[in-house]
Amino acid sequence: MVSLARKNLFQDLPRFVVAQAGIMFAVSLVTIQTGLFSGFSRSTSLLVDNSKADIWVASEDLRFLDLTVPIPLQRRNQAQQVQGVDRAEALILRGTVWRRSSTPLTSVRVVGFDPEGQLFQPKKLDQGTLSQLKQPYTVMVDRSDLDSLNVNRVGQVAKVGSFQARIVGLSKEMRSIVSPAFMFTSLENAYAYINSPIAEPPRNPPAPKPLTSTDQVSYILIRAEPGQDLQALKRRIEAALPDTRAYTRGEFADLNQRYWQKSTGVGFILGLGAAVGMIVGLVIVGQILYASVSDHLKEFGTLKAMGSPNWFIYSVIIRQALWMAVLGYIPGMALCIALGTWTLQTQAIEILISPMLATGVFGLTIVMCIGAAVFAIQKVTYVDPAIVFKA
Amino acid sequence: MPNLEKSTPVAKPDMVPLTASKAIIARGVKMTFQSGAESFQALKGIDLEVLSGDIELLMGPSGSGKTTLLSILSGILTPTSGSVELLGEKITGLSRTKLAKFRLNNIGFIFQDFNLFPALSAIENIETVLNLKGIRRGEAKRQAQQLLEQVGLGDKAKSLPRQLSGGQKQRVAIARALAGNPKLIMADEPTASLDSQGGHAVIELLRKLAKEEGCTVLMVTHDPRILDVADQVLYLEDGLISPYVPARVPSVP
Repeated sequence: MVSLARKNLFQDLPRFVVAQAGIMFAVSLVTIQTGLFSGFSRSTSLLVDNSKADIWVASEDLRFLDLTVPIPLQRRNQAQQVQGVDRAEALILRGTVWRRSSTPLTSVRVVGFDPEGQLFQPKKLDQGTLSQLKQPYTVMVDRSDLDSLNVNRVGQVAKVGSFQARIVGLSKEMRSIVSPAFMFTSLENAYAYINSPIAEPPRNPPAPKPLTSTDQVSYILIRAEPGQDLQALKRRIEAALPDTRAYTRGEFADLNQRYWQKSTGVGFILGLGAAVGMIVGLVIVGQILYASVSDHLKEFGTLKAMGSPNWFIYSVIIRQALWMAVLGYIPGMALCIALGTWTLQTQAIEILISPMLATGVFGLTIVMCIGAAVFAIQKVTYVDPAIVFKA
Repeated sequence: MPNLEKSTPVAKPDMVPLTASKAIIARGVKMTFQSGAESFQALKGIDLEVLSGDIELLMGPSGSGKTTLLSILSGILTPTSGSVELLGEKITGLSRTKLAKFRLNNIGFIFQDFNLFPALSAIENIETVLNLKGIRRGEAKRQAQQLLEQVGLGDKAKSLPRQLSGGQKQRVAIARALAGNPKLIMADEPTASLDSQGGHAVIELLRKLAKEEGCTVLMVTHDPRILDVADQVLYLEDGLISPYVPARVPSVP
């Protein structure tokens, strides 16, 4: 069949380009808002998602990742005895202050873990090795946080608590929107940093002490033996470890995401932005299609006079809408992907465009364009075929 | 009415030869338009019969009801009262859908302003109608090309309407009207927008359609040149068929 829809659309190229720019804008707005929301959500559970633990054990008073009370390291040994637990490791997570002479104070989140462990490590290492963290008072920070920490390379030194913090490596893609910069270090170093007062570091401080069973950590990470029912294992762990609560990794990630979404209203704000994008797109496409149908009203009237069924005319308008949707979506999505790559590389802000989001936005664009076509269809439905005889 | 004489036979049922079939029969057709509280009676009771293969002209001054009558006889408008029978089928009373189907299968339309799709080439304009009639891509293209050759525009198949002269556009419109071999052609001022040469070409085509293809052509026109090929002239005045036709039919007002 002759593509009347496509040819009608391309007939007025400047108008078509303007329309496509509008759809592209709508697609970008919806994708960026939703991608930012997804990126934000993922960012709130970055440490959790990045771990290889099946279960996270925390104090029963935990509100979310950054707001909990510590538990004794002894819980790690107890967890190791629970049937079905393959491995247990401790994790310290606490805020403190990063100081560099003659620069402003900066908040950091100390992440203390076992550099020889298997359940936690920074996502990607850009420079350095984890074993370097076994040296006293050594740390790793994320490359994207260098500016905010007022450093620019490995080997530089800052002050954390009463000790020096020498940067021995850099991580990648470990920046959270909702948290201060992460400072990765060993459990021993972390314990020393967070339990020392903010003071001038001594010249040759002794190496941090190994942790004892009464020392306080934030979480116990658990790897289950293969084939374990995680819910049953959670219950066994909670029974064996007093005053604790166990979460699967997915549950703990959800808990953190929900906390941030509710407490900040970010879901509502970004959702509102996405809705505005949809409405703008709907109006633009509706207006363009309506104008296009108005311009071709006499031709549509001619088709009706000649005996064309309404569905044929509707199909022309809907195909026009589909062309607009596809040709607006492709550059819109390409723009978002490019923008997302740029923001991640330069700002460490992730616009998370998953295949599901891309597919969802495509579906939404189709719905938006066909929804807009309904206005135009209304107009053509009531066109009097007798207009064809009026010169 | 100045300079009137009974020069052209007016369609009357008793004048129809017994052997010829009747393509169009209208009985007591009235049409009243309502606009708010006001009403306007455009047709006040039209009776007519048109034989198959005839060229019938509808003439008359502006506002006499010619276009309204053409719309009703094409099944586009439904009369306020009266009946219309086309090709042996009573179309008054048919549903909108059935009327549309009847028009699609039996009537070809020619308009004063051509009403071609500006975005489609000459051949695509014709193909669209053939597609509507259920003829598939390859066959539609072949038939459309054949129709263009029939109207002498075989070499203009890929031209867009804006690349054609007025006469050429109207010939494309005639080729489109012929798509699917309709038995009836309804034409509204087909030569009004054309120069002399274009007008003559269109008139000759219409004559061929009726006399060689057996189409019945009903045409609203002010063009006196068409009188030569017409079998009958209906002269409308104030919504009624007048028994008299001016000796010199006025040109387009």
